Amino acid sequence: MLLFLFLLLSSCFQNENVNENDLIYWSSNNSYEINFAKVVTDNWNKDTHLSKVYFQPVPEGQSSEEIILAAVVGKTTPDIYSNMWQGDVEAYAQAGVLIPLDTLDGFLDFLYNRCDSTVVEEIKSLDGHIYQIPWKVNPILLIYNENLINKLSLKRPPKTYSEFLDLSYEFMDDADGDGYTDRWFGYAEVQVTWWQRFFDFYPLYLAASGGASLVNNGRAVFNNEHSIKVFRFLKELYEKNYFTKEKLSSRQDVFLSSVIATRFTGPWEIMHADNFKTDDFLYDFSYIPVPDNHTGPVYTYGDPKNIVIFNSCKNPEEAWRFLKTLISEKGDLELLKITNQLPRRKDLEINDTFRDYFNNNPKMKTFASQSKYVKGTDASPVLKEVFDLISQEYEACVVYGIKTPEEALKDAEEAVNLLFLK
Amino acid sequence: MKLFNKILFYVSLTISAIAFIYPFYWMIVASFAPENEIGSLTLLPTDFSFSSYLQMFKKIPIGKSFLNSLLVASSVTGGVLVFGSMVGYALARMEFWGRNVIFYIIVFTMTLPFQITLIPQYIIMVKFQWVDTYLALIMPYLINALSIIMFRQYFKTIPQSLIDAARLDGCNELQIIFKILWPNSVPAIVTIGILTFMASWNEVLWPIIVIRDESLMTMPQLVTLFAVGGRAESQLGVKLASAVMLALPIIIAYLFFQKYFIQSMASSGIKE
Amino acid sequence: MKITKDKILPYLLVSPYLLHFGLFVAFPVIFSIVLTFHNWDIISPMEFTGLNNYVRLFSDKIFFKSLLNTLLFLCIHIPLQIVVALFLAEILNQNINFRGLFRGAFFLPVIVSGVVVTILWQQLYGFDAGLINRMLVKIGMNKIGWLTDPNVAMISIAVMATWKNVGLYIILFLVGLQTVPGHYYEAADLEGASRSQKFFRITLPMINPTIFMVVLLSTVGGFSLFIEPYVMTGGGPLNSTISAVLYIYKQGFFYYHMGYAATLGLFFAVIIMLVVVIQKKYVEQET
Repeated sequence: MLLFLFLLLSSCFQNENVNENDLIYWSSNNSYEINFAKVVTDNWNKDTHLSKVYFQPVPEGQSSEEIILAAVVGKTTPDIYSNMWQGDVEAYAQAGVLIPLDTLDGFLDFLYNRCDSTVVEEIKSLDGHIYQIPWKVNPILLIYNENLINKLSLKRPPKTYSEFLDLSYEFMDDADGDGYTDRWFGYAEVQVTWWQRFFDFYPLYLAASGGASLVNNGRAVFNNEHSIKVFRFLKELYEKNYFTKEKLSSRQDVFLSSVIATRFTGPWEIMHADNFKTDDFLYDFSYIPVPDNHTGPVYTYGDPKNIVIFNSCKNPEEAWRFLKTLISEKGDLELLKITNQLPRRKDLEINDTFRDYFNNNPKMKTFASQSKYVKGTDASPVLKEVFDLISQEYEACVVYGIKTPEEALKDAEEAVNLLFLK
Repeated sequence: MKLFNKILFYVSLTISAIAFIYPFYWMIVASFAPENEIGSLTLLPTDFSFSSYLQMFKKIPIGKSFLNSLLVASSVTGGVLVFGSMVGYALARMEFWGRNVIFYIIVFTMTLPFQITLIPQYIIMVKFQWVDTYLALIMPYLINALSIIMFRQYFKTIPQSLIDAARLDGCNELQIIFKILWPNSVPAIVTIGILTFMASWNEVLWPIIVIRDESLMTMPQLVTLFAVGGRAESQLGVKLASAVMLALPIIIAYLFFQKYFIQSMASSGIKE
Repeated sequence: MKITKDKILPYLLVSPYLLHFGLFVAFPVIFSIVLTFHNWDIISPMEFTGLNNYVRLFSDKIFFKSLLNTLLFLCIHIPLQIVVALFLAEILNQNINFRGLFRGAFFLPVIVSGVVVTILWQQLYGFDAGLINRMLVKIGMNKIGWLTDPNVAMISIAVMATWKNVGLYIILFLVGLQTVPGHYYEAADLEGASRSQKFFRITLPMINPTIFMVVLLSTVGGFSLFIEPYVMTGGGPLNSTISAVLYIYKQGFFYYHMGYAATLGLFFAVIIMLVVVIQKKYVEQET
């Protein structure tokens, strides 16, 4: 009985005594981002403002998305949240829990100063308002093992599909002589989980199409020559066993152990690789491969995380004033130095403020130049399901070869349009 | 002939036993092997290393999750035993209107698959703001139909004279249950206790649904997410280490209480 | 005064159960049924949609695949379990030394969490470096795509589930075997019956009740198949291992289609109850 009472009481335990006017800011629970949040809020709090800002990292757990969901339902949302994935925003916007930022004083001017117009269009919601501030991006690139690449005929990472396929053929090997290939040029997860496509199909699609949309205005627009080419390319990789169908991620890190020579990944890989690699292991990043006759810049997926203000916030204008410091030049430099993540701003490569950082971190330069050509996600409240439907067809066509790319994409298109009808 | 049969039997049993034990053996050994050896390991590694365990302790709050599981499983078991015997007693030895109705309802709920209550139960947790609290893990399991039925069955067999004597001594009903009936129902208590504790300990689906905060996760939940998610950073040894840690408490308890474990599970099947 | 106290006492004792029942059984079931007529993603208000969810259910190919998968799982798992458990129990029932040790070994996977078993078997089933395939190659056989071949994946999961649970059923069969009166076998020996004759004519019929119980328990357990496909395959390849519960979980807690998930749950629950009722009736008929 006592235990029961204790539990009841402990569940009532709420936040510390926070002033009426003060702002609660939830940051991601990544330890580097926690440091960043601390620096930014300390900077704000040391001057006098209408509100103090208190930051709390979201609890460690499966995914911050579910924590936000629980907060929205339980009406315990913070004022500011800084790690919202761009794909999640539309659903919350339509549910009416986010503040339309374009109504805040000076917001639009600041925004157009920070980002170019394609980005602004990209983050607009379906109702024309803007509910998110583009904060940071982690572009997906091709990481490659320098030693292994240098041994191949091209002596550099592949830029086109043909080069990729040729190098794959050259590289594949049966190292333990048991009759089965156990060294592959690259790898992509075959699991049908919707977000896996951010590391294979979607970046390739964006690269091939110059940043085209998947869905627009409640219709599927992804069934086009670009997606067909991407499906065909990936399909060939699996058909010829250049990529394996096995789930290599249940083994130890296959890139660092030289079982694969390349992988599609983001800047976070730098810290991971440096932590776990052997001393003679050299790696660098290159661009996502494109179809052979491709012209123009090579786009990729940027995994954008943005900042939102919940409508439980009593003083959005003040919140915006705080956020301006977070995404100022000074704030962005801290972001780079503390977390090694790129702020999503159009002057990243030319602004003197960041010059030293990039000189000290040459691998990040590739990412910075790529950040001009990243795309996030289209605005749609059912984005996860769209990706899931595409994933189903991806598996059938690309991994198991039971459909042609044309058939698969047509089926996916039909399924997605059906989804929008509901 | 007889000897041949005997040999056949022992060989079959030994092979089978190896089939059942070897995977566990492999897992334990692999968790102590250096990372790069695990891929080729079959029997013994060349090197003995704790690194997988050290990394695991750094990455996930496995100790806290152990305590969480302990807390939740104990509370659930306690509640089931207490409430189960209360209701079982009322149904077994008291006359009151609605007694049969309630009994049939209880039997009916046992046949109800959890799939139908899963979603609304989650919504209740959200509305009560119990998501990410121990309450969400404990409350839905606090009372268990099977325990009520087993207690009722058992209490029916207790001689009325014992109860009458207690009443004459001035005991109230609660005292009768806990001071008189319980000492005489140890087999039932042990059985229900072990079954409930094990079921609660191994429950994964529900915690995955209602607990997002890592510091509140139960041990199987944490290990599941660790194995499925990216937190292990593709370090296989660490994943295996966490699996070993998860298996350890139950295996230890099992080694000590083997007889009771087996008895409990056998009798639960028979009661069906 | 004492009379009233006596009268309400039973109700006091039963009240915690009634409260619990109301909150965690009655309300959810009713709310679940109500939900099936709505669309709801938790953050927006509920939207009445009439029978839409039911219509959607009947054209949901993946849901029916998940039901088929669950059925396939049961059809492999249950017979396999009975054969293996009975075989091992029969041996253990003879005069065997170290019986407790063997029994303990077989029982080990039963008590360990399903998660541990799944992680273990992922290492066994790996295509390139998995233990089983490595041994197959050593003895000159081909590697098998245990988890990557859509035709094999569910079988692999069924085998793993059998390995996990067979210890429990060995115990149950042992209990059942020991209820067969010894003199039946003695009489059969006098008539010169062979071992297999004794088994099929005496043992098997006498433990029919135990077999039925094993079938019933395995069926109900098999319907809740979730964690194994969730961890091992995520439902693939080509949706060959997605179980009904996993699919419902996805609909409800991945996409937050609460109304549709409730509909699926209700439909599935009805199927389970039907199956259980049919099995129980069959058992009653036979005994």
